Amino acid sequence: MKFILNYIRKETWSPYVAGVLLGLVGILAVWLSNNLLGASGGFENLAGMIGQAVAPAAFDNVYFNFIMPPGITYGVILLIGMFFGGMIGAATSKTLKWGKKDAANSDPLWKRTFGPQVWKRWVLAFVGAIILEYAAGIAGGCTSGLAISGGMLLAPAAFLFIAGMFASGIVTALIIYRRRY
Amino acid sequence: MGTSLIALFLGVFFGFALNKAGLTKYHKIVNVFRFTDMAVLKFMMTALVVSMSGLYILRGFGLITFPNVPATYIVGNLVGGLIFGVGMALTGY
Repeated sequence: MKFILNYIRKETWSPYVAGVLLGLVGILAVWLSNNLLGASGGFENLAGMIGQAVAPAAFDNVYFNFIMPPGITYGVILLIGMFFGGMIGAATSKTLKWGKKDAANSDPLWKRTFGPQVWKRWVLAFVGAIILEYAAGIAGGCTSGLAISGGMLLAPAAFLFIAGMFASGIVTALIIYRRRY
Repeated sequence: MGTSLIALFLGVFFGFALNKAGLTKYHKIVNVFRFTDMAVLKFMMTALVVSMSGLYILRGFGLITFPNVPATYIVGNLVGGLIFGVGMALTGY
């Protein structure tokens, strides 16, 4: 029992242990609610909701009417859970940086690569997130919604997506890091 | 209401697993593309193996039916993946 508690307090688990936990969550999602896990879909539901309230004409299209209907869906609630789950994870390992000085830009590798400025981190995160969400819209899911959830149902789409993701991710990392790669 | 509670419960464990695997950190995500830290790949593949075997066993016993399998459209999946990788290496999502 003590061993388990100590393990929970560890900051970084073995990826195999955490992977087993995620695998079990994926099974439970299908078993209990006949749904798949996903992270990007919820944001699109929320964006659709805001968009239809602000500019109904612009959001009255096939995508938001049929593929990603706006509203508080399963995915949105999953996102809320993920937010608190991540916080609990950080709190148990005492790495929760809520309100601390370097909370907005704390990653050492990021600082070495791009500089310590907080605005840079936020701007790049914002631009990158637009790219991510747009790509997830094209592909029909993100790392969790398509690659993992689709992969566990042996969907060919998932493996195509993983191949594309790693190919361009490696190239992008090569461009960013050049000689330090 | 029941489904919402299940979603919330699963979401908490999902977020917890991602945090403990270190996938909430930029250096973990980008280092997998630099081949210096394979944690992301280990995490993803373990999750895949566990859940795919579990799901197929459960379906074999007739306990579950599969939800809609994500649709395959080769160009869309590939192009989406290619754009996604750029964002992933930039932000560390």
